[in-house]
Amino acid sequence: MKETYRNGRTAFLFILPALLLILFIVFLPIVLNLYNSFFRWNSFEAGKTFVGFEYYVRLFKDPVFFTALKNNSLYAIISLICQVGGGIIIAAILEDKLIRRFQPFFRTVFFIPSVISIAVVGLMWQLIYNPEIGLVNGVLNVIGQSEWAHSWLGDSKTAIYAVVAVSQWQYTGYMTMLFLIAMQKIPMEYYEAAMIDGASKINSFFHITLPQIKEMILVGSVITVIGAFKVFDEVYVMTFGGPGRSTEVLGTMLYRSAFRNDEMGYASTIGTIIFIITLTLSLIQMKLGKSGQEVE
Amino acid sequence: MRTKILIVCMLMLALVITGCSSSTSSNENDSDKIVLKFLHKWPQPQYAPYFEEVVKEFESQNPDIKIKMEAIADEPIKDKLRVILGGSEVPDIMFSWSGEFARKFVRADAALDLTPYLEEDAAWKDSFIPASLQPFSSDGKNYGIPLRFNGKFFVYNKEIFDKHGLQAPKTWDEFLEVLDTLKEEGETPLMLGNESPWAAIHYLTGLNQKMVDQEVRMNDYNPRSGEFTDSGYVKAMEMLAELNEKGYFMDNVNSSSHDMVKQMFFAGKGAMFYVELEEFQDVENALKGNWGFFPMPSIADGNGSQNYITGAPDGFIVSSKTKHPKEAVEFLKFLTSKENSLKLVKDIGWPSPIEGATNPDTALKQVAEGVEYMKQAEGMAEWLDTDVHAKVADVYLSNIQLLLDGSKSPEEIIKEVQAVAKQVQSEVE
Repeated sequence: MKETYRNGRTAFLFILPALLLILFIVFLPIVLNLYNSFFRWNSFEAGKTFVGFEYYVRLFKDPVFFTALKNNSLYAIISLICQVGGGIIIAAILEDKLIRRFQPFFRTVFFIPSVISIAVVGLMWQLIYNPEIGLVNGVLNVIGQSEWAHSWLGDSKTAIYAVVAVSQWQYTGYMTMLFLIAMQKIPMEYYEAAMIDGASKINSFFHITLPQIKEMILVGSVITVIGAFKVFDEVYVMTFGGPGRSTEVLGTMLYRSAFRNDEMGYASTIGTIIFIITLTLSLIQMKLGKSGQEVE
Repeated sequence: MRTKILIVCMLMLALVITGCSSSTSSNENDSDKIVLKFLHKWPQPQYAPYFEEVVKEFESQNPDIKIKMEAIADEPIKDKLRVILGGSEVPDIMFSWSGEFARKFVRADAALDLTPYLEEDAAWKDSFIPASLQPFSSDGKNYGIPLRFNGKFFVYNKEIFDKHGLQAPKTWDEFLEVLDTLKEEGETPLMLGNESPWAAIHYLTGLNQKMVDQEVRMNDYNPRSGEFTDSGYVKAMEMLAELNEKGYFMDNVNSSSHDMVKQMFFAGKGAMFYVELEEFQDVENALKGNWGFFPMPSIADGNGSQNYITGAPDGFIVSSKTKHPKEAVEFLKFLTSKENSLKLVKDIGWPSPIEGATNPDTALKQVAEGVEYMKQAEGMAEWLDTDVHAKVADVYLSNIQLLLDGSKSPEEIIKEVQAVAKQVQSEVE
């Protein structure tokens, strides 16, 4: 016991610097933000006025808040299906013996979008979506489906889907990379054993690949969902919440309150809510992930 | 192994020290000179050189003053100004729109009262066209100095107008007739780039002013007493929506940017475009005399004065926290001196608020005419998104795109405006 205690002390001292850093850079701002959400203040005025829970009450009565929540949830669901789901499938295809020769080429091609700066991506896609001179409507016209041609970013019904689509284009490749790495760690013997037993490729996928990369699936899902609720750049560059408020997400709502409407307190409230949402979802996901491991 | 760790640690330490020292050394260099931080909103290559030249000239005339200049463009400066003002390195002289936009900084004690400096130098004060100083005042005191005096006018392609035998309309009914004729003949009557919604808001600015009685409107635009219950506000939005419903606007206004549409207009597409005086030089460069202009036509049953022009000055405010108010004002005087104002008009073609600076000798004939219109007008209808409280502006800005694509009615929009105006009333001291 004495020895563990002595080691414990030293161990604690070793992690102290990192712990302090995390405390001041991560936890303290979260607490300060919560504190700030109880006041009315803005960035250029001195002094704060205490308002208690007024902003929280206002937030839950604000129809824009619910639009934003819906948009973020849409983002999360579509990203899970497309980036995580699609990523796994593409990775599995790339790992397949027949395609493996071309893997480096495809890996690069799929990964490139995720390293382009978001501002560039946003501007580029604005052009692509442009109803007069853009690629999407151009292609639709050429293949004879011009009734489908829309003002993608200018129509409040299609705008949010158009923006979500851009994120999928950008990050599916990144997820594919993560899953590829996880899949490459799976020992070949499992697959060989399954082949001897007569399992089809699809069977091996479901019974060997998926269970073996469970941790990576969990990590990928958590990143994707947190990212979906924190999303800001893509929406800001392409639509800034418009037309009207149809593409508003929590991130742009926060930005608008802070830097256009001069309501930092309201922005702090939104920030606290984003934190609570992402924390809850991450905890849920980790719980679900753990329950899988215990079965093994 | 030990030497390796030592070397790595020393390298890291060196990095950290360089990082820290670079921020302090810049202060040491200028401690013997007075440094003024100057922020303006024109980084574009056609405007920036003017400011660089003026700053250089000022520095050579005042060797003990150094000016650190920064330029941030139109859309980003709306956000950055607020953050910069809350930070530690507030610029001494910074750009601001007039009206409520400047007044909120005044209320927050962030802007310096310039009245004493104007009173002290009567010649300087009198050099300004009075209508250009007024929008920068609050409670009878002056807080801003105008650099430009902008008005909004419809410019039309003369060739298209002549082709169909049309003339510049003077009344709204004549305007609708012109639009109808153009549409029948297959032209695009009105160009509009409303991706950034201020473009349509400028239409609404004039419509609100012409439809609603001046006193009522000024009362509503004041954050402390805004109600927006006058039916004129709804009528104004209906008139704007009507232009769209009748197909007078081009397609896809909400996904086209003002700059892109400007290029389309210059390429000959579209008959009319609503622009500011500052853009007249660009129009002349592209259309070379093949154009004319007229102000928003008068509306017969409007309760507001029909002799107002939509427009506003914009310019600079001085930070209340500046350590060198006298030098800052000196620079502003230099910037708005007759000499530099003439240079402004000649080099960039902007309308200057200095009496006599914008005349047919220095400026484009049309710019000089435009400034004359503004001088003769009874008053100015300032941009709606800078003349009301930021939150009310936000409601108008986000909804104007929905008004134009038909998904929200004027009645629904005004209800939201009224609700926010009420909220604002209770929050502003």
